[in-house]
Amino acid sequence: MTVQLKGRPEVIQIQWIPKYTTLERAAHWIHTATFVPLAITGMILYFPFLEPLAQGEAGLFIRLVHRVAAVIFGLLPIVYFIFEPRRLLMNIREFLPNKEDLGWLKAAPAYYLLGRHEAMPPQGRFNAGEKMNGLVMIVAWAVFGITGVPMWFGKGVIPPEIFRWLVVFHDLAMIVSVCMFLVHLYLAVAHPLMWAGLVSMRFGVTSAEYAMVHHAKWYYGPKRAMEIWEAKKREAAHKGGH
Amino acid sequence: MNNRPSPKLAIHRREFLGLSALGLGISLVGARAAAAAPSVASPDNVAILYDPVKCVGCKACQMACKRWNKLPNESTDPLGIYESPRDLSAITWNIIKLRRTEVGWHFFNYQCMHCTDAACVEVCPTRALFHDPLGFVALDRQKCNGCGYCTQFCPYGVPHLQVANLLTGEAKSAKCTFCQDRLWSGIGGPSCAEVCPVGALVWGKRGDLLDRARARVAELQAQGLNARIYGENEAGGLRRLSILLGEPEEYGLPSVPKTPAFARAWQRIIQPLGNVAFGAALLGILGTFLFVRRKIRMEEVK
Repeated sequence: MTVQLKGRPEVIQIQWIPKYTTLERAAHWIHTATFVPLAITGMILYFPFLEPLAQGEAGLFIRLVHRVAAVIFGLLPIVYFIFEPRRLLMNIREFLPNKEDLGWLKAAPAYYLLGRHEAMPPQGRFNAGEKMNGLVMIVAWAVFGITGVPMWFGKGVIPPEIFRWLVVFHDLAMIVSVCMFLVHLYLAVAHPLMWAGLVSMRFGVTSAEYAMVHHAKWYYGPKRAMEIWEAKKREAAHKGGH
Repeated sequence: MNNRPSPKLAIHRREFLGLSALGLGISLVGARAAAAAPSVASPDNVAILYDPVKCVGCKACQMACKRWNKLPNESTDPLGIYESPRDLSAITWNIIKLRRTEVGWHFFNYQCMHCTDAACVEVCPTRALFHDPLGFVALDRQKCNGCGYCTQFCPYGVPHLQVANLLTGEAKSAKCTFCQDRLWSGIGGPSCAEVCPVGALVWGKRGDLLDRARARVAELQAQGLNARIYGENEAGGLRRLSILLGEPEEYGLPSVPKTPAFARAWQRIIQPLGNVAFGAALLGILGTFLFVRRKIRMEEVK
């Protein structure tokens, strides 16, 4: 894609490389569109100050919304698995932590607060923060399902001793995933350096230039990325010595 | 010159105040309004006393309960012995059962225990279940949304869901309400106690009933029976007092009802911790947002 800014002679060349499939993007947005109502309707039973919304007919309605959204939320990853099983497994593999993640977490404050990217070690298709978000959401999805389905159909069937723990774990999964979601939402829509993520999730592509810097292990391959990283570190040390 | 701080400082201060206000707001929101539960049952509370030695098992209480509360008949297990229906349900709030204890077979009446430390009131997210100032645990069916937490946390398994639709979750909680409408309108006491022909179920002030129960227990003990009061201190004191002829377990009653403590841990420890987590996340995000807005100049970003 070429872009020419008004009144400027130079032409900017942007090379786009694919990052997400159409199904992945659709799944992401359907996940969002169900997670948010699930969180809101769940919190109506959670926060005492929202009590009026939980009472009587309104309460019956929010519980119905919670169930409709839960069915879609629960089936979504299964649909994804049926249509793109290899992509799903690939993504899960890429969510698994590795030893560069620690370095990334250490360097992250300087990048996210001050915009200094130099100390960030090369990352794969997902960086350590994205991995954390992905893993939390996968685990939370499983916990919501394992605890939610018996809470729906199991009253009077499963022993109350177990039911009480299901409610507690459903709450805990909500607390962790909502915190993660808030951070994710801020970074995606409001952080000035994170615009690339929203572009990728809307159009499925990322610019080669961005991938080169921020997802070097994905762009160059792990071996080449580490070589470049080591060379850069040596160069910095050399400069620092003078 | 005026005394007003420089504009830059003013923004800092405003932001600082905003952050503090947000933090305070979150912690206030987190504090679950203390339920109006008295920590100890008052002797002036209304209560019911059940004496199984006097009970003849006529089931008048069961019938009176159904009739006053307009509860429909329940189809019952034809192989059932005396117990019919077999257990409490959404449409049976009072039941006589046969129990075998160390003194042999005798009748026992089951209904809501009207705990002081009521797990159902603790977990109810709508305040449909509440402590009536008279002492019993009342139920406002209009407010109930059918979540069913009460049915799962009650140590006595008393509340039951009247499920209209399992799929949509449409339901209402149901339990013995101490005939709340009779008490509120001044008609009289709970119909089960009013109707009992032998004085096995009586109602009155809890303090008076405890005195009567103590005297009765002494009388039974003098006859060589292992009699005791159940409900004086259990779950903060029950408003349904019973005389037992043996261990509570022989009646399917817990010696120590533990679920109120569990319910409290859930709603008074885990949920506030969650609120702290939400607050920390929001404050962190807001702080980062304000900091980044000043520190990162998009023009300088490559």
